[in-house]
Amino acid sequence: MNLITARAIVEALIFASSEPLMIKTIAEITELDIHTTIQIVAELVDEYQHHQRGIQLREVAGGYQFGTISECAPYLEKMQKTPRHTGLSAAAIETLAIIVYKQPITKAEIEAMRGVSVESSIANLVEKNLITEVGRKDSPGRPILYGTTKHFLKHFGLNDLSELPRVPDWHEQGKLNFDEIPLEVKKDA
Amino acid sequence: MDYEIKLDIFKGPLDLLLHLIESSEIDIYNIPIALITEKYLEYLHTIQLLNLEGVGEFLVMAATLMQIKAKMLLPQIQNNEESVLLMEEDDPRWELAQKLIEYKRIKEASHLLKERETEQAQIYTRTSGEFADLKISAPGDPLKDLSLIDLLKAFQVVLESQEKPELDAVPKQVISLQQRMNEIVDLVTQEKRLFFRKAFGEIQTKIELITCFLAVLELIRLGKIIAYQDSIFGEIMLTLQEEVNLAE
Repeated sequence: MNLITARAIVEALIFASSEPLMIKTIAEITELDIHTTIQIVAELVDEYQHHQRGIQLREVAGGYQFGTISECAPYLEKMQKTPRHTGLSAAAIETLAIIVYKQPITKAEIEAMRGVSVESSIANLVEKNLITEVGRKDSPGRPILYGTTKHFLKHFGLNDLSELPRVPDWHEQGKLNFDEIPLEVKKDA
Repeated sequence: MDYEIKLDIFKGPLDLLLHLIESSEIDIYNIPIALITEKYLEYLHTIQLLNLEGVGEFLVMAATLMQIKAKMLLPQIQNNEESVLLMEEDDPRWELAQKLIEYKRIKEASHLLKERETEQAQIYTRTSGEFADLKISAPGDPLKDLSLIDLLKAFQVVLESQEKPELDAVPKQVISLQQRMNEIVDLVTQEKRLFFRKAFGEIQTKIELITCFLAVLELIRLGKIIAYQDSIFGEIMLTLQEEVNLAE
């Protein structure tokens, strides 16, 4: 397998996969070493970027995935029979924001912060696979701790949690230390 | 006549309070509690008239506001030496101010996330494909990508598929959980990868189905077998923990 065909294979793999493909997986399938795989993927990313294509190769949720470029969105919308998902409701986004930045966190803690019941928005977020149970808190009643999923990263186009938009204060206070969080995402890292 | 109106303008009492404070251009650390309470109750009166959902949560906040108001009316015990240090936190409004500030940050964070979501919605990716069931190297997690819900759903399917015309009561021999567990381990050992459905074999009665399901759960708990799905909504498979360890 010389380098030219290897590149074609890597491109084909990423294209055909419906999930962001990890470097490790690509290397396993192609039997290339990790270093070469990284190099090939980087070349592909550049290639798509520099040729003003309607498709981009981007890193998301710890893997690589093809996506259209946002400039094409208005035309793609025209092609659709039904409008795309309308996104999350304001209440759901608020609950999600707390979980994202404060995870792992219990329902009661979220409710204390929002001042409202979050039962339904949590159910909604779990159903959308944006959050999941990441464990139990070692306190009376052993309440469920929630954290974000890999799908959350995909939905928001993030490679990992360090890419989250910065919230003043929360970041500065150094209260966010995602390394200590038993995230679902980390399992396959 | 009852009207049911759902207003999503205020996402809760904190949201409303923050709005009242900001629209009155009040310093969050120095809230004129009497004024804000009055405005708050005014709004509350309106929503009660409208018969809105979730008024209870707003009432809790109203009570908190009135409690703070009452506390502020009480003479403060002056403790000269420490008062300088504790003044801020001694203020009955302190806790509320902290909550409001934190809530403000939440709103900010939500806004940032929403923006990000809208931005990402512009990028289209291939969502389904033949390769949805990508081979994933298995970590030692007994419930790989499955949740208990997935298992329960699978059990539901089994239950439904077994619904047959009821027979006359025939005395059945009762199989113990332990027996059932041994049987399943044997089956999985034989088949290496056993369809969840198949674990139930020819069982007829509900009680036996449940025993069998419990046996599966117990085996997972003990780490003897692993349950996993190759794809979303796919069939749940059972396999021996040892098999996975060997494969790695």
